[in-house]
Amino acid sequence: MESSRDDKLAATLSALRPAPRPAFAAELDERAAAGFPRQAPSGSSPLSRAVSRLRGLSPRRALLPAGATALATLVAATVIVAANGSGGGESADHVAVAPSSARSEQSTLDRLSKYRSERQVEEVLNAQPEKPGQANFDAAGPAVRSSGSVSTEASGAAVQSQIHPFSKEENPVYFDGSGSYASGAGHRDVERSAQMVLGADPTEVSDDAAKVFAAVHSAGGIVLNSSVHDGSGEFSPAANFELLIPSAKLGDALGAFSQIAEVRYRREATNDITAPTVGVSERLQDSNAKVEGLLAQLAGAESDGEREAVEAELQTERRHAATLRSRLTTLQRRANFSRVSLRIKTGESSTPSSSSGGGWSIGDALHDAGHILAIAAGVAIVGLAILGPLALIAALIWLANRARVRRGRQRALG
Amino acid sequence: MKGKLARSTGVNQTLVATAQEAPREADLAFDRLYRSSRDDVYAYVAGLLRDGLAAEEVTATAFERAYRKRSRFDPGRGEPRAWLFGIARNAALDELRRGGRQAELTVEPADLVAASAHESAEESERRIAVSAALEALEPRQRELIALKFFADLSNAEIAAVVGVSESNAGTKLHRAITKLREACDGVL
Repeated sequence: MESSRDDKLAATLSALRPAPRPAFAAELDERAAAGFPRQAPSGSSPLSRAVSRLRGLSPRRALLPAGATALATLVAATVIVAANGSGGGESADHVAVAPSSARSEQSTLDRLSKYRSERQVEEVLNAQPEKPGQANFDAAGPAVRSSGSVSTEASGAAVQSQIHPFSKEENPVYFDGSGSYASGAGHRDVERSAQMVLGADPTEVSDDAAKVFAAVHSAGGIVLNSSVHDGSGEFSPAANFELLIPSAKLGDALGAFSQIAEVRYRREATNDITAPTVGVSERLQDSNAKVEGLLAQLAGAESDGEREAVEAELQTERRHAATLRSRLTTLQRRANFSRVSLRIKTGESSTPSSSSGGGWSIGDALHDAGHILAIAAGVAIVGLAILGPLALIAALIWLANRARVRRGRQRALG
Repeated sequence: MKGKLARSTGVNQTLVATAQEAPREADLAFDRLYRSSRDDVYAYVAGLLRDGLAAEEVTATAFERAYRKRSRFDPGRGEPRAWLFGIARNAALDELRRGGRQAELTVEPADLVAASAHESAEESERRIAVSAALEALEPRQRELIALKFFADLSNAEIAAVVGVSESNAGTKLHRAITKLREACDGVL
């Protein structure tokens, strides 16, 4: 009885079963045969069509372009960072290749500059004979000591300004640019300086140092200080030079140094000292005129008391004039000679090679590869730091939306 | 050299053929699923939406979604029909949500009239009574009835579609049928 009722119920329910229209069934069959081509919503915007297309992509198919895009972005960012990292410097004259390396070399050279005081430079300049062709050529250091004779020449052209090698406290005629620029002066007095680090093979440091001496001699410069160590004892092979090069030949001299070994760092700087030079010169002229006036006054003195007073004043003014003359000479010589700090060091270079250095070895390639990988890793970490929270937020939004949809579906069932 | 080339070409041809067969097999499997389930999916969706045009649209959408996701179907996680009806259920419920409607598991009056023309008065009366009893059921119970009698799913497949255990699905289905039978007591 129960079974018969169930059969009737089942038969009735089967009879109530909705059937699709033949036209719809045929249309659906056609679409199935065609692989269900996507039908863009009519009147939809390109953006909504693109979104619809993206949503239709399977994860596997979407993964490939997403991965390719991420990889391309990573490569582009790495190239940009690497280019900025090695190329980003302080000036076109700056041949440093890695920022950290450049800073290290800069601080070393700055320390060297402090050890060689400005007074020492001036002493050497003042001891220079006025007649060209004679000069001290002194190289002092633990391993090499030499002397020679060089000539001097007058000043030359200026390079783009970067740093001032002398501090205000050390230099009584330091011109900080806050006062007059002596813009009316016809001739500019420019002080130049340079710093350079060469990378050499440990066995060639002594030979390279000798080449430096020869280059200085050829340029008519002066070796203020030198220190060459051949690597014996606990010290690694290295050489340090404090040089004075005629400003007119500074470019040639730096070029000659660059030919000796691989240039790892190079920096040039200028300082316009026209204003203090003109100022001291004018004061000297005034002082000379005053001396002449006092001499005339002395010739016309009628009493011993008056003569003694004029002579005392004359003596004071002559001392003042001598001081000004000395200062003017120093300024002119600072313009005529450029100070160069040169260091030859050994060890790994930050660059694969330079115009003067050796070939690009496997070690260099590995070093570069490591450097690029480090940059790529850095870029990836930064990218993850940015994208990670965004991805987390997106995941939370997706989960929340999924829960909302599920609740909505359950609610739709009543 | 020639032999080496020939062997290499043969290997390539074999690989290409294998690669081309894989999607073809998936397409064939989906085609079989489509042909065996087209009318069942429509019947279930039409019963759920109570709107012929909407049912056609949802049925097409469900098959299109299933076709796009066919490579993601994992046979280890269930039967293909249960997977397909799960997609159709979601599409139908989304359509209900969009329309702000609730599930009304009945057939359209036009269908009733069309069917009644070839039947006896007793059968027609029974059909109307069962339809009214179906209308009086809770929506979730009506859905179970539709899945069982319109879509012809097994209890295991119904359980997979609605997301409950098979025994739970059987119990719920039994309650729904009992309630339906009691509502149609006079005509059965």
